[in-house]
Amino acid sequence: MSMRAKKGSSFGGTCLVCLRDAALISTLASVLGLMVNLVHPEGISLVAQQEYQTMVPCPVFGGEVQKLTPHDPSLVKKTTFLIDAREASVFDDWSLRGAVNVTFDYLDPTPPEVILELAQKIASSRAQRVVVFGDGARPDTGEQLGRDIAGHGIKNVHYVEGGAPALRAQKEKL
Amino acid sequence: MNRFYQWPGHGWLALAARWYLGWVFLFACFHKILHPASFALDIATYDILPLSLVNLMAIMLPWAELAAGLLLVLGWRARAAALVVAGMMVMFVVSLLLALNAGLDMSCGCFASQAAQDQDPINGMTVLRDLGWLALALYVVIFDRVPLGIDRLRKQRSEKDV
Repeated sequence: MSMRAKKGSSFGGTCLVCLRDAALISTLASVLGLMVNLVHPEGISLVAQQEYQTMVPCPVFGGEVQKLTPHDPSLVKKTTFLIDAREASVFDDWSLRGAVNVTFDYLDPTPPEVILELAQKIASSRAQRVVVFGDGARPDTGEQLGRDIAGHGIKNVHYVEGGAPALRAQKEKL
Repeated sequence: MNRFYQWPGHGWLALAARWYLGWVFLFACFHKILHPASFALDIATYDILPLSLVNLMAIMLPWAELAAGLLLVLGWRARAAALVVAGMMVMFVVSLLLALNAGLDMSCGCFASQAAQDQDPINGMTVLRDLGWLALALYVVIFDRVPLGIDRLRKQRSEKDV
C-alpha cells in the first residue's frame, strides 16, 4: 500500500514537473518571439491596428452544375443556351456567337428577377442544356452563376472549365 | 498494463516519434517566423481570435513551435516539449473543426500562407493528420520515461554522481 502511494506521488510529481517545464518552455519561447519581433525587419505591432482583409470563398450555395471542357461538341449545338458571365465590356470585346450576357458580381448577387427573366428566355428557346462561361479564374464566375441559375430550378446547367479565355484559345487554335 | 508501461522499447519508439514531430514543427515554424504578417493573416482568416490577440499569437506561436521542435529533437525536457506540442495540436484541431464547420475554404496555414491554398487546404484529412500528431505527442508524454538524448545523459550523470 505504501509502495503504491509512493509510486502514485512520484508519477504525480513527474506530471507536475512536466507541466511546469511546458509552461516555462512556452513562456520563454514567447518572450524570445516578442524580443525578436522588435528587431525583425518584417516585425508587426503587438495589437493589430485595423481589421485584416480576409478573402475566403464562402460556402457555395445553389444547384449542381457539371463541368465541360472548352472543346466539348455540345457548345456549338443549337440546343445549347449560352450565357457569358463576364462584365459587359469584355463581353462586347469577344464572346461566343449567340451567348447572352448576364454579369456575375461576387459582391452584388444576381437579383432573382434577372434569374427569372433568364429562366423564361431559356424556356422559350427550347434549349436542352444551359452552358455558362465566365472569367475562368478561381473561383470562376461562370461556375458561380451556373450554380445560381441551377439553384433557381433550371436543370442541366453546365459551366466551361477555364471560362472565356479557354474558349477563345480553343477557337483561335481551330 | 504496468509491464507494458515499463517496456524498454518505448524509448526507441518515442525517439522516432520525437524526431518526426520535432522536424515537422521545425519545418512548420520556418515561414511563420520569417513572415509574421502573413501568419497573422492566416490566423485572422480562421476568424476565431479577437483582433487584439491575432498579432500576439502570430508572434509567439512560431517560437513555441521552434522551441518544442528543437527540444524534441535534442531530447532535452522532451516530455515537456511533447506536452507543449500536444497542447498546440488540441488548439489546432479545435480551430480546424470550427473553420470546417463554418464552411471556410482556406489553407490550413500550417506550413505556408493562404497564398498556397492549393498545397494545404483544410479538410477532414488535415484534422486526422493533426489528431495523429496529437497521439504521437501524448505517447511521448506518457511512455517516454527517460527520453533518449540529453535527458538520458543527464540522468546517467546524476546517477553516477550519487
